[in-house]
Amino acid sequence: MDINNKDLHKKGALYSSSAVRPTAATLDMFPSWPLRFQHLTSTRISSIGEEESTDSGSAVNTASPSSYSDHRLRRPPPPQMDAGISADGSQPPKQIPEKRRGPGSNSDKVLDAKTMRRLAQNREAARKSRLRKKAYVQQLESSRIRLSQLEQDLLRARSQGLFLGGVGVTGANISSGGAIFDMEYARWLDDDHRHMSELRAALQAHLSDSDLRVIADGYIAHYDEIFRLKGVAAKTDVFHLITGMWASPAERCFLWMGGFRPSDLIKMLIAQLDPLTEQQIMGIYGLQQSSQQAEEALTQGLEQLQQSLIDTIANSSIDDSMHHMALALGKLANLEGFVRQADNLRQQMLHQLRRILTVRQAARCFLVIGEYYGRLRALSSLWASRPRDQAMMGDENSCQTSTDLQMAQQQQQQSSRSHFSNF
Amino acid sequence: MHYGGGGGSYKRSVATEASERIERMASASAVVIFSMSSCCMCHAVKRLFCSMGVNPTVYEIDQDPNAKDLEKALKKIAQAAAQSQSQSESAQFPSSSSSSSGVPLVFIGGKLVGAMDSVMASHISGALVPLLKEAGALWL
Repeated sequence: MDINNKDLHKKGALYSSSAVRPTAATLDMFPSWPLRFQHLTSTRISSIGEEESTDSGSAVNTASPSSYSDHRLRRPPPPQMDAGISADGSQPPKQIPEKRRGPGSNSDKVLDAKTMRRLAQNREAARKSRLRKKAYVQQLESSRIRLSQLEQDLLRARSQGLFLGGVGVTGANISSGGAIFDMEYARWLDDDHRHMSELRAALQAHLSDSDLRVIADGYIAHYDEIFRLKGVAAKTDVFHLITGMWASPAERCFLWMGGFRPSDLIKMLIAQLDPLTEQQIMGIYGLQQSSQQAEEALTQGLEQLQQSLIDTIANSSIDDSMHHMALALGKLANLEGFVRQADNLRQQMLHQLRRILTVRQAARCFLVIGEYYGRLRALSSLWASRPRDQAMMGDENSCQTSTDLQMAQQQQQQSSRSHFSNF
Repeated sequence: MHYGGGGGSYKRSVATEASERIERMASASAVVIFSMSSCCMCHAVKRLFCSMGVNPTVYEIDQDPNAKDLEKALKKIAQAAAQSQSQSESAQFPSSSSSSSGVPLVFIGGKLVGAMDSVMASHISGALVPLLKEAGALWL
């Protein structure tokens, strides 16, 4: 209360005397007054103002309460305040005794305008800062989206075996189920690389059959794992699997029902698996034939599903569309079954291969398989990073490709050249 | 087995009647496929046997007057087969027929082979052809 009286006294002194008290003015500038004192001073001011000349009083009456409250709520005082107070040495006897003094002017009317201008500037400053904040937040949001997209691209690039050049940013929407599978597939590829090194080292070291068996069976289990993961993914996002978005472009080119075609793999292996016994050759050819028959059967089943789906969607009329859509949805659900059966076929083929071959043959066979798909993935990366500008033909072109190839070879660390010398 | 009240025993007898019918149909021919005309996986299994030169007997149960009962009975058989399979093969090949549909279901020589996954596994492992020959469905 003491402070109240002291300040009021000062204000009263300002009103009565013609002299300027800069110190008092500057003191009044600082927003030290709590809000509850605000109305007291303003009412005092208005009563004092009435005693003086009429027009200034009225001006004070209208201006001071509002401007006072405005200044209460606004945090740093406008910089013009200081300049105004210090610049104008001589101030009129009738000063508006508010916390934030106007930049010193001669009449209340002008003061009022100055106050209004100050308020306007304050509003403008606040608006600008709000806009800046909004822009900053928007920038943060877009950076976040870009970051997550980059992460996905990185995963995909890693899954393609090499991180060379630019991997195309597809910007496609990957469902969470698909994204989860992509991550698990990337991890599986790392595991695959590890298994490859293990197989290579084991064959070179000429380990015993029992040791080799453990490693070979481990590779089968490694493939069992990816089929299990694919089974889970088929439930959440069968389209992601069936369109091969999880695989490298070159693999996707030869995609059959969400994965590799078993008979193609056997065809590739037949040449690489020499020497085989008569019985083994029979077994491998039998495996190839049964795989082909199963593949053909599944393909025809899928074709019938597609045809049935087309008929359902084509025949959906306007008044019956919901019913047809429900039918179509039911038919789409069968897709999961086909992808599962295709994976089942792949899994069975690998197990049968393991049964036909001896342990050492199986180990070599799995090494061949792993290296084959590794090269296919490397091919995808090389293709993606190949120079497109035909004007740059000649030495520049071949230089870059050969460097890429060298890097690819180093990455593969191929030491068993007998199998792929003609690659 | 002692059945419960009147209503329950009627239901039970209908179910057993259906499974008995299935048994009879399965034993009637060398290769029997229980199918539904709308089912695409059934179409696949039919194509598979045809490609092997086998002429299977196909029962389209959706065209049977007792379609629902037959379907229920087939589902039960399929689920029981899937369970025993996962137990015996140490879950190496988890049952791919997660849709737990009763069709397609294949019997050879009156004995149950199973759904599509079992048929394919049997074919890839080389066990199917001898089974067919034994049942007289295939000749050299």
